[in-house]
Amino acid sequence: MRRLFARLPGPLPVRVLIVFVALAAALVAFFFLFEWAGDLLDSGGVVGPGQ
Amino acid sequence: MTRTLKATGWIMIGLGVLILVFLGYQLVGTNFLTARSQDLAQQTIEDHFVAAQEEIEVVDTLPPPTVEPGTPEGPLPEDEPPVVHYSEPIPEAGLAFGVMTIPRIDTELVLFEGVDRATLKKGPGHMPWTALPGQPGNAVVSGHRTTYGAPFFDLDLLEPGDEISVETALGIHTYVVRDALIVAPTAVEVTDPKRGAWLTLTTCNPKFSARERLIISAELVDGPNFAYALAEKEFVPADAS
Repeated sequence: MRRLFARLPGPLPVRVLIVFVALAAALVAFFFLFEWAGDLLDSGGVVGPGQ
Repeated sequence: MTRTLKATGWIMIGLGVLILVFLGYQLVGTNFLTARSQDLAQQTIEDHFVAAQEEIEVVDTLPPPTVEPGTPEGPLPEDEPPVVHYSEPIPEAGLAFGVMTIPRIDTELVLFEGVDRATLKKGPGHMPWTALPGQPGNAVVSGHRTTYGAPFFDLDLLEPGDEISVETALGIHTYVVRDALIVAPTAVEVTDPKRGAWLTLTTCNPKFSARERLIISAELVDGPNFAYALAEKEFVPADAS
């Protein structure tokens, strides 16, 4: 982890910002993955052409 | 080689944890979100009823039905007054508008207007393009089967003859289950309008899968619009040949 952090470009504040943005993106991706996978378990029971 | 194996092991452990977190969130965590929404809605539903009751209107009248429900066939007295169709205001999207009780599965649920993802997280939702519960036509209500409070988890236990009641601003509407069927998720015909007044409940089937839909079809047997729905079912306009 430390080695990965050290390999990031730019000064320390920029690297911290990169990590912060990457974590936020991972969280959003995680959320959408959960929502998508949740629809496989139970989509809400709606009947219609898009289901 | 050892390093690759070690990395693969960690990735597998990570994926396993991810799947466990996912299942825990879906099957347990989401229940808390829905329970909170239901509790909040229970507290405000009475206010909705009071506000909506001021907008209840008589929108139509019909000659009374010729057959009294539940009795042997026979004409009613000729001086019977016409039956009345009461309407209530269409609820705003996402808001609570009624309470559904299903005694057979010991369930009481606040109903919300809409079947979008956000609304169904709060509880069962009414398809806005169908009749409202208690109104003539086919009122369709959809709900989650296994996640977000699993409001329709035991819907498969309902049998013909079981009662479902829905309280709205207009009053209490009592339905009786007539049919249960399993259809494809695209079987939009189950939402088609029908003569009389019907309540159609839809949910995922089987449990823990969205592969099919379980449909419960119930007919109105009591409530403010019952006589009108019955009259409408058998009414033939004078100019019809």
